[in-house]
Amino acid sequence: MKTPPPTSRPEQDTGRRYWRSLDEVTEAPEFRQWLEREFPRGASEWTDPVSRRHFVKIMSASFLLAGMGLAGSGCRRPVEHLEPFGKQPENYVYGTSQYYATAMATRGGAVPLLARSYEGRPVKLEGNALFPGGNGGTDRWAQAAILNLYDPDRARRFIRGGNNATPDAAFDRLRELSKRAEATGGEGLSFLLERNTSPSRMRMQKLIAGKFPKARWYVYEPVDLDVHRRAASTAFGASVKPIFKYDAAKVILSLDGDFIGSEEDAHDNIRRFTQGRRVEKPSDSLNRLYAVETLMSLTGMAADHRMRVAPSVIPRVALAFASEILKQAGLDAPEVPAGVNPKWISECAKDLLAHPGESLVVAGYRQPPAVHVLAQAMNAALGNIGKTVVFLDAAAIEGGISDLAKSLNAGEVETLVILGGNPVYNAPADLDWTRAQGRAKSVVRLGYYEDETFEAARRDADWHLPAAHFLESWGDALTSEGVLVPIQPLIAPLFGGLTEIEVLARIAGEDVVRPYEIVRQTFAGGEDAWRKFLYEGFAEGTAAKVVNVDVDPNAVKSAWSLLQSEQAAMASMSNNLEIVFHRDHAVDDGRYSNNGWLQEMADPITKLTWDNAVILSRKTARQLGLKNFDLVEIKLGDRTVSGPVWIQPGFADDSLGLALGYGREKSGRVGSGVGFNAYRLRTTVAENFAAGATLRRLDGTFELACIQNHWSMEGRPIIREANLDQFRQHPDFAHREKLEEPPVVTSMYPNPFDTAKEKGLHQWGMSVDLNTCIGCGTCVIACQSENNIPIVGKDQVRRGRAMQWMRVDRYYAGDPTQGRLPDVLKTDSDQQFEEWIDDPQSVVQPMFCQHCEAAPCENVCPVNATTHDNEGLNLMVYNRCVGTRYCSNNCPYKVRRFNFLDFNKRPLKDLKGPFYTTPLTHETDGEWDLLRWWKDPTEPTTGMRADDEWDLLKMSKNPDVSVRMRGVMEKCTLCLQRIEQAKIAQKVKAGPSGDVRLKESEGTVPKTACQQACPAGALVFGDISDPGSRVSKLKAQDRNYSVLDNLFTRPRTTYLARVRNPNPAMPDYHEVPLSLEEFEHKEGNPFEESGESPATAGKEHTHG
Amino acid sequence: MIIAGLFLVGGAVTAGVWYYFTPKYTRVGYQPIQPVTFSHATHAGQLGIDCRYCHTGVEKSWFSNIPASSTCMNCHNQVLKDDPRLELVRESAQSGKPIPWVQIHKLPDFVYFNHSVHVNRGVSCVECHGRIDQMDEVYHAQPLSMSFCLECHRHPELKLRPEDKITDLAWRPASAAQQLEFGRRAMVEWKVESLQTCSACHR
Repeated sequence: MKTPPPTSRPEQDTGRRYWRSLDEVTEAPEFRQWLEREFPRGASEWTDPVSRRHFVKIMSASFLLAGMGLAGSGCRRPVEHLEPFGKQPENYVYGTSQYYATAMATRGGAVPLLARSYEGRPVKLEGNALFPGGNGGTDRWAQAAILNLYDPDRARRFIRGGNNATPDAAFDRLRELSKRAEATGGEGLSFLLERNTSPSRMRMQKLIAGKFPKARWYVYEPVDLDVHRRAASTAFGASVKPIFKYDAAKVILSLDGDFIGSEEDAHDNIRRFTQGRRVEKPSDSLNRLYAVETLMSLTGMAADHRMRVAPSVIPRVALAFASEILKQAGLDAPEVPAGVNPKWISECAKDLLAHPGESLVVAGYRQPPAVHVLAQAMNAALGNIGKTVVFLDAAAIEGGISDLAKSLNAGEVETLVILGGNPVYNAPADLDWTRAQGRAKSVVRLGYYEDETFEAARRDADWHLPAAHFLESWGDALTSEGVLVPIQPLIAPLFGGLTEIEVLARIAGEDVVRPYEIVRQTFAGGEDAWRKFLYEGFAEGTAAKVVNVDVDPNAVKSAWSLLQSEQAAMASMSNNLEIVFHRDHAVDDGRYSNNGWLQEMADPITKLTWDNAVILSRKTARQLGLKNFDLVEIKLGDRTVSGPVWIQPGFADDSLGLALGYGREKSGRVGSGVGFNAYRLRTTVAENFAAGATLRRLDGTFELACIQNHWSMEGRPIIREANLDQFRQHPDFAHREKLEEPPVVTSMYPNPFDTAKEKGLHQWGMSVDLNTCIGCGTCVIACQSENNIPIVGKDQVRRGRAMQWMRVDRYYAGDPTQGRLPDVLKTDSDQQFEEWIDDPQSVVQPMFCQHCEAAPCENVCPVNATTHDNEGLNLMVYNRCVGTRYCSNNCPYKVRRFNFLDFNKRPLKDLKGPFYTTPLTHETDGEWDLLRWWKDPTEPTTGMRADDEWDLLKMSKNPDVSVRMRGVMEKCTLCLQRIEQAKIAQKVKAGPSGDVRLKESEGTVPKTACQQACPAGALVFGDISDPGSRVSKLKAQDRNYSVLDNLFTRPRTTYLARVRNPNPAMPDYHEVPLSLEEFEHKEGNPFEESGESPATAGKEHTHG
Repeated sequence: MIIAGLFLVGGAVTAGVWYYFTPKYTRVGYQPIQPVTFSHATHAGQLGIDCRYCHTGVEKSWFSNIPASSTCMNCHNQVLKDDPRLELVRESAQSGKPIPWVQIHKLPDFVYFNHSVHVNRGVSCVECHGRIDQMDEVYHAQPLSMSFCLECHRHPELKLRPEDKITDLAWRPASAAQQLEFGRRAMVEWKVESLQTCSACHR
């Protein structure tokens, strides 16, 4: 699908024309007027107030008359111009998409991507399926990156001391910096960088280090995922970093390691982990996951056994595990005092020991290095090294932010160059970073936003340079495994932004400063190799070497004694609250806080949007007398923050979970003032955990926007699951677990689709594997990007008006023996107090339009705006919809979304109820719009997004999908635009022949956006009338079932029931999953063969 | 009487709007003045240049492109190379600045018409655009309304033609019976669907 790479970087004046707004490319009259206007508005107008107003009055009246008089011809559409090229570029066909391989750099790796470009603007990012081992899946941040590119709040200007400056002046400043460094050897020059793996940046750094040896380098990441490398280097006495092969592991123990949620390369870990969760037939085996954690994490939700403990207890659990495993492996291990849940630990250790070479122990990034050292020692004892965990060569990284703060406070830094990052916002609170930064004589900062760090550097000598997006400028990166990938731009910098490597090259005083040339020079190969590199999106054979390592016994011993002494110190502490600071699922460390898609994506676990919360367990909340939404103040030392309470099922007692990345003071229209800033409590000594917090209830409450009120399925078989044993005994368990069906009656009115489908060339369907879906939410963002889904803001989410076509439902199931009241449907306001939520099992389920063959929505539409096509798609015709919302009322799956307001064009701040402005009542800057218009008729009165904002945002829209307006219903179309395009492409290819059918064997069946983005491969779309297609085979499995099948809607989207793999020896073993127990409580045992069980009622129904 | 009169007048206005405010009346015949006096009658009719020489994207893209000025210059750097009527074209080809042609055929944004799939599968340009090869200044020949599209989508056999006659705007089937025979056979052999579901055009 890819087009060949361009021969060189496209220049702005020749070849493809890059443009900065649609108005520019179409040369709209307004744009041209704006360009050609000699004086700014107001400068050349008549200024006499009385006669001017009079003139305006007459003019408005005459316009009105003219408008009425011309009403007849006014029906004609306004004249539009088509402007073809002056010079036709080669191999370019207007209206077709082009694809380029690129990559998004992460902290310690990169996500290889394939970017779709339409008319010179990137519109969608996909994973690079050519990448070795990749499946085309990405993470949610890569999917959302396109919105960052078109963020209207990006840094657009070069600024000196708070005032606009020219790029040339900025380049002069960098040259001057370079000259000065040359004279002093770099004395007083310090760089603060973010972590990244770019070989070009490394080369520039080396160049500068060679030229200015006294320059100093510091790296700061508020969420430090590099601890794996540091700990491995300690444990093995060599400079190495671990790569975990979750696909090779049969038994996995995670010590606070959320490897499928918040660790580096989570999407790749999901791919590997879910390979071991795939079952097709009862004889297949499953991997088993044990999780020990404080937070409820994605890993904990996917785990077969989960132990929740306070943060300070995790090292103790690690010690107990290490003692158990090292001892049983015949190694020398000191005794540890009996800790928490000894049976859990010893049985889990037994299971690990029973799988030498195919087990894995992994510690999370929040854990101290000593715990990681113990984990690696366990891996060594279990014979996993080289099998489920390999070690790669890895270079050491420069000093951290504490060293830099010291050096700043000592007055050793004359010029501080900050490339990326936002230290004023996220530096540890005890460093007093704003003050320290002010000690540098001059701060030169390259930033993507004019954020907190920009605000703190507005002195005359301070510079702020706008950073380029990765889709705007050349770069390179190494994936975690060391494979070189290109960062290829698809558009010229919209606002003239620079990249790190360009700034560094300028400081180095290099002649070559264009990023393309820097990257090209770093890539030493010839022209053919370079082209292949850009075409494929990776350089073959560049992966880092796997090195053989041996555990350093001294390192283990010292880790051991360190943890033991810490534990002893802990034991003496009184019963305090412990805080966990964690990376947020949506905004990461705060870098995505101005990304509306991510802000509005429900957190995979709490299902909260637009806020972080003080997360605690039911028991702790009860002890403190708190309930959801109560405002509390958390005090740690002499620092405080306040935020609303959220009671999280399965959260460890006596702990508080605080997500980082919120509470931005200066972000943008989306991110400013969302949530509270947990960095304020975070210090260098307690980066991830802090003990000794106190909590005080404040007056009042703060409402959070949660998109899922029901925590429990209440015994209904919406998600069906069984343990591996039941699956082996009753492979058809999903069919047995079924609600009673109403008696089948022959329909008076035959379903027209039954005959219509005979005409369809294909029959589309989808299968969702609940065994591999872990609920990460990447699909939600991919869908939002592909289908032009607007964001609606917190207030609208609270009113249930979120627009995402996909949602991932998350349910908890509790032990019915734990004081459960299963007969009453309850929402979170009641459920938060119930004991069963303490140790729940969790299940997730992506939910979107099920494309029912007998769709309840279609029967009730008075205008036939939702109908079926011959190929089984439930269509939504926007131009026919009049907005009665009957369809949504009648949809049992609640997957239809209604545009209550013009979400696309209204500014976010005007989306707050209960009273909404209209163009007539709207105010701007506290002044009534109509009054403003009266004073100045050129002033727009629309109350819609400002032009500069809308111009950028509309560039992110997919041209193949209608942008819906107010009053229109919408829902998942199974990416109809992709299906139609594939069909058209096949028909064009067929020409005058009958070869028009899309075939999976020929690779012509398209993938939906969610399917393409899913790192687990849990979503499979295809032609169910082709018996050889993957989706047909999946649907033929015994685990296949439809949600709410007792309603006879006959959905085309079906689910594969989940199979758990618990260990019978474990103390928290349940013979059947808790959700099944709930079902049994309500409906009776589905496995009982006697009598008329639901299973014997038959699988097929002939309901019309 | 007054009420009845009002009803009558109201009814007449409604009926008038209903009937006359349709693309059949508001669009057909639209013939704006173009910035360059380009004659399709001369180029396509008299000289017999194939449509696809200039509209290169029509077989590959949803959009049938208007040629770049450099395409005009392929011939006009030899033919009529100093003609004052071509001043704008020469200037545009030189500078790369586009010529602002006035758009004539335009479908609403929620309609996804695709040129390539029609011209590759037996539908001629003439069905929607009329006898362009006889127009000096192009005008809107057909209503291009939804009912117009559906007429053909309901009975493709009446419009399908041999693939080598797609850009031959003057071609006519020998007889209605022959057309029907060819069209029906083509529908079977080429597996042409009579697409009337909404998804065919609306996404």
